[in-house]
Amino acid sequence: MTSNHPAQQAGPSGAGPSDVGPPEADPSDVEEILSLQDVSVVYEPVGAAPTHAVRGVSAQIARGEFVGLVGESGSGKSTLGFAITGLATAPARIEKGRILFRGRDIASMDQDSLRSQRQGGFAMVLQSGMNALNPVRTIRKHFHDIFAAHRHVPRARREERAAELVGKVSLGPEVLDLYPDQLSGGMRQRVTIALALSLEPQLMVFDEPTTALDVMVQHAVMDTIRDLQASEGFTAILISHDLGIVLESAQRVLVMHDGEIVEDAASADILHRPRHEYTRMLLSHYADPRAEVVTLPGLEDRAVLRSDDPSDASAENPASSSPEPADPSAEPPDPSAARSAPAAPAAPPAPAASSDGASSRRAPVSRLRSGGTELRLQGVSKVYPAARRSGRAVRAVDDVSFTLEPGGATALVGQSGSGKSTIAKLITGIERPSEGTVHLGDTSVGDLGRSGLRDLRRTVQMVFQDPYAALNPLNTVEYTLARAVMNLTDVRRDGARRRVRELLETVGLTPVEQFTGKLPHQLSGGQRQRVVIARALACDPQVIIADEPVSMLDVSLRAGVLSLLRDLRESIGVSLLYITHDLLSARLITDRILVLHDGKVVESGPTARVMRAPQDDYTISLLDAIPNPRRVLTP
Amino acid sequence: MSENTTRASSPSPVGHRPHPAVEALRGGLRAIWGNRKARIGMILLALFILVALLAPLLAPYAPKDNSFDRNLGASAQHWLGTTAAGEDVLSQLIHGARISVIVGFGAGSISTLIAVLIGLTWGYITGFAADVVNFVVNLFLVIPGLPLMIVIATYLQNGGISVIIAVIAITGWAWGARVLRSQTSTLRNRDFVQSAKFSGERAPRIIFREILPNMTSIIAGGFFGSATAAILAEAGLEFLGLGDSSIVSWGTMLYWAQNSNALLTGQWALLFAPGLCIALLATSLTLINFGVDGISNPRLREGSTGR
Repeated sequence: MTSNHPAQQAGPSGAGPSDVGPPEADPSDVEEILSLQDVSVVYEPVGAAPTHAVRGVSAQIARGEFVGLVGESGSGKSTLGFAITGLATAPARIEKGRILFRGRDIASMDQDSLRSQRQGGFAMVLQSGMNALNPVRTIRKHFHDIFAAHRHVPRARREERAAELVGKVSLGPEVLDLYPDQLSGGMRQRVTIALALSLEPQLMVFDEPTTALDVMVQHAVMDTIRDLQASEGFTAILISHDLGIVLESAQRVLVMHDGEIVEDAASADILHRPRHEYTRMLLSHYADPRAEVVTLPGLEDRAVLRSDDPSDASAENPASSSPEPADPSAEPPDPSAARSAPAAPAAPPAPAASSDGASSRRAPVSRLRSGGTELRLQGVSKVYPAARRSGRAVRAVDDVSFTLEPGGATALVGQSGSGKSTIAKLITGIERPSEGTVHLGDTSVGDLGRSGLRDLRRTVQMVFQDPYAALNPLNTVEYTLARAVMNLTDVRRDGARRRVRELLETVGLTPVEQFTGKLPHQLSGGQRQRVVIARALACDPQVIIADEPVSMLDVSLRAGVLSLLRDLRESIGVSLLYITHDLLSARLITDRILVLHDGKVVESGPTARVMRAPQDDYTISLLDAIPNPRRVLTP
Repeated sequence: MSENTTRASSPSPVGHRPHPAVEALRGGLRAIWGNRKARIGMILLALFILVALLAPLLAPYAPKDNSFDRNLGASAQHWLGTTAAGEDVLSQLIHGARISVIVGFGAGSISTLIAVLIGLTWGYITGFAADVVNFVVNLFLVIPGLPLMIVIATYLQNGGISVIIAVIAITGWAWGARVLRSQTSTLRNRDFVQSAKFSGERAPRIIFREILPNMTSIIAGGFFGSATAAILAEAGLEFLGLGDSSIVSWGTMLYWAQNSNALLTGQWALLFAPGLCIALLATSLTLINFGVDGISNPRLREGSTGR
């Protein structure tokens, strides 16, 4: 679909160009709604070199199609989305090429005709769409603003139409009376979709519509989008970094890489017969955490759980729908394997640890420390008092007990609001438990004073979720690490400098000299997260708490960071508390798992067993919420 | 180890860098210079500073030389005429720039310094101590500035220029402190502050080494704002006769011109010239402030927003 066909603007009636290509057998019923012809978008910031974000993209989208646009960050997918909807603003500029929407070039439209065509034309739903609502106006007013601006709904029908629209996104008419802050993130995103729908667009561009939402909500919102597309018949372009989500929804997928479309094929073809190696690389990072053996490139399954395992005999073989017959990741053709290679020179699955229950105790022999420190939570609860007199006290954590063995790895899993981050705060002493105790060896964390907490930092360290926020943008890598070394250990001057280099080597940022002087913005997300991990390691901690350490990273970078975390555990015997909503990564790097729901532990046990034979309904619904294209597309 | 392309917001050189502070200063100046309005402001300000520095060389006569005829109009000897006391107006104007520039930068720096110290600490701490600071700052905010200035200035009359600077600084820091405090309290919850705590940093270092550099724009903006206010306040105090009326500044020039009914005698230059200078100096600082936003946020640099 990369043929450039010139001279087409002479189609005032928007007649479907019939000269496009072989797939369009009958031009009368397959009308082309959007045509990209060799489109290039360039960012030209003042005083900096221009960046070519989109380079010569050509594509045709037929009316009523559901097309996915997939790529990692920096691939230009959002830039293209903005260009399509006429939202590209300086410093971005459409350098060349044409974007024809029903035969009309979008680039040539002025602001006013752009505005008026939004009704019945094209609309966009943004990633942060839930923040696009004005907090001081009710939802009803948002609808009425749009109706008033376009006057396409008669005054008498407006109330009825607004109720109808929120109904379409599975909300009741009562939300019209509410203010945005009274709605949850998922509800707000539904409202923005309804607002976009109110103009009856023929083309909707969804830019990462669910990325900022919780896993479970994500699933439900995507269902709504799919149903709407089917019932309303608009053409949809779904932009996402998550190939899983896109494959579940879209009929056709465009894969973008470095500003170019590298593959354009039907979803089933992308899944079963990916042609481009970049597509194959993206695909290789999906796996079903319920499978018997879970492998990602650079991350082999460690404690392989055999069904003949005595400890697992009670759990009947789960009805895992697709037991991964031909794993596409068997021979990873991607550069990420080489990427994680230096970090994982010899880390095959822990040899004899087949019994998962015992593996957490036996496998990671803490050869560096005698004893090590055990982290023990007993009946811990945390109650936040009511913010206002009318409000209710929030019980964020409710009677949670668990033990993290020295050198062990435990996952805390749950959706947002399940209390998993509060537990991290309790363990690190940022918050004190309302009931129960947190013990690190013999120390009770809740009773520590200021200096005690400083000492605690030598034992318990944290890896933050967002590597883009966790590093001070103005400090070099060396400064960041050296401060941690000098604060938490007695090493000074040359020793500290040596230690910084050692840390960078440990986390695989080599050659070290290239990285010491860099500022965070000169590093990629994965490299930044490695710096964050290196800082956590500065004082040889015994416990590392990793709060969603890979959720902000592109899939191709995730495996590297995950395998680093796992290897650290084996090489220096640090124990790991891994907080996540992502069950796949939990399966790969932890031995035990606790599933949290509303502050309570609903299920716990060896990770592999819980994933393969979940007992609690909540665990099952968490597992179901994971996008799995194979489930949908496999007949 | 090339994990994806870097997300560098600007293609900064990767090679060896000079000291970060020098780099930051140079970058800041470049950012200001990149804005057209700010560039005009910088040129204007540079002119004033040059005049102030070279005043003895530029001025045709000594500022207090009253050996000339009184109330002369403009002439080749006295471009702007002479005062009622028989001094050359142009020489006074040139020397007056020194006072305004000194007061502007002196009082501006001191009040910015106080605002930074108090505002950042206040934003970082919580609990009772924060309430105490809150009370003190509110006290300074609700006391009307001009009357307080007048009261202090009359009490310390004839203490010279340093008293004026002190008075203006004391009455001028509170608003800046409040602005900096609110910015600090949003930054203190950022992950990098949390992680600095985890690397064992102590509070003062977190406040002034981790948080402060992230607020360069707002601090620089506050500085130029309070320098402007200080220049205007100094002129105001002198005009009211509350400063040291024996020194030569634009404010005292206005004071004496008013006293001698310069407008009635048709000597417009006596009022107009110092007034225009005050306005131009204040304008130059305000213009520079337009470019300050771009220091720490490249997106706000002119031309990059699509305007």
